[in-house]
Amino acid sequence: MIPYLECWLPASESARLEQHLVDCDSCRSLLVRLRAGHQMAQRLAALPIEGGSASDFEFGLAALEAGVSAAGTHPSVWRDRLERLATPRMVTALSVLVLLQLGLLVVSNRGVLLGERSRVSVTRDAVNFREFRRLSISELKSNTQPHVSTEGYVEDVHTDEEEGTVAFKLVESPQNAESFVVCEIMSPIQIAPPRAGTRIRVYGVARYDAQNDRNWNEVNPVLSIVPLNP
Amino acid sequence: MRERELVLAAQRAEPAALREIYIAYHRRAYNLVLYSLGDPALAQDVLQVVFLKVFRGLASFRFQSSLATWIYRIAHNECREHHRRLKPPIVPLEAVLGSADEVDPKPSSHDLHARRERDLIIQRAVMELPVKMREAVVLKYVEGLSYDDMARVLGCAPGTVASRLNRALAELEERLRPFKRLL
Repeated sequence: MIPYLECWLPASESARLEQHLVDCDSCRSLLVRLRAGHQMAQRLAALPIEGGSASDFEFGLAALEAGVSAAGTHPSVWRDRLERLATPRMVTALSVLVLLQLGLLVVSNRGVLLGERSRVSVTRDAVNFREFRRLSISELKSNTQPHVSTEGYVEDVHTDEEEGTVAFKLVESPQNAESFVVCEIMSPIQIAPPRAGTRIRVYGVARYDAQNDRNWNEVNPVLSIVPLNP
Repeated sequence: MRERELVLAAQRAEPAALREIYIAYHRRAYNLVLYSLGDPALAQDVLQVVFLKVFRGLASFRFQSSLATWIYRIAHNECREHHRRLKPPIVPLEAVLGSADEVDPKPSSHDLHARRERDLIIQRAVMELPVKMREAVVLKYVEGLSYDDMARVLGCAPGTVASRLNRALAELEERLRPFKRLL
């Protein structure tokens, strides 16, 4: 939404977003909040930064120059420390720890690995999935409605633990992987990630990612996943 | 001196080139470090470490990004290490200003000092954001980086940068909502 607020979203995408905003109360109120946050954040650029006077930096530069010339051709302190840490015993210990972690991960996520039905913590009465427009993946290109459902085969599941997101590709068929949509599950929506190779139906918000190396349709965020028969 | 020539001269450890790099980039790196750590004295110390790593790491700089992006990335990594080790405290907005009800009503708009005070409220609110969101806001709104450059500095996808910025702005709005009548 920030590109829209800064007026550098392509006209077609702006129109698509505005059409979405007509129908979507939650996105409209989010846009109002983001606009307020954006206007406040823009005032940061003009603020002087505490500390960092010219004399502070001159002093710092002198210290650095002294440090760099004293270091000369001596090996980096960090390289020394790394070489001391990377002993065979330490590498073995770290490998064992990693394997233990992987084992714990498998045990605690066996439900997901066995393909159990996803659990959705979004309140059912807050979202009426019957109102979502049902489309094939290839039909998404010409879609202008915000809430859609589509189905396909799961590929390339990628989990980002730090961001709390799961992204995956949904292809029309294993034989037609060129027709795909990128789906993303974002926190705080809790949906178990689908397994690669399974056939599912996703419900969510239709988007288009117009960045240079992308240019693809998305269902982002995914609001619900229903497993289908292969 | 053009950036490529500057870097090549610095790789030969020419003092003038090293100095020019420091002068050109220390302020920008300091902005990011200060917003990340929240303390000017600490930021100065960390900045020194950052530039020590910059100077020592120049030999391996391969011009795959701009020098600025590379320096920001070192600064970001150093701050992240610092957060892992020491978790520097950020004083909450209310502890500095009092609750929204206690703060003086909005003074005359012609009062430059008062306007600066109001802007400092925003700065303080940004300092309160979680580190990842704070860094995204600083890189975009203070340093003016593109989404792609921000992604290179922060080591994530541009989509992730966009997501962090959206969450940051929503959170900033929420934190400043009680002080809206002052801003």
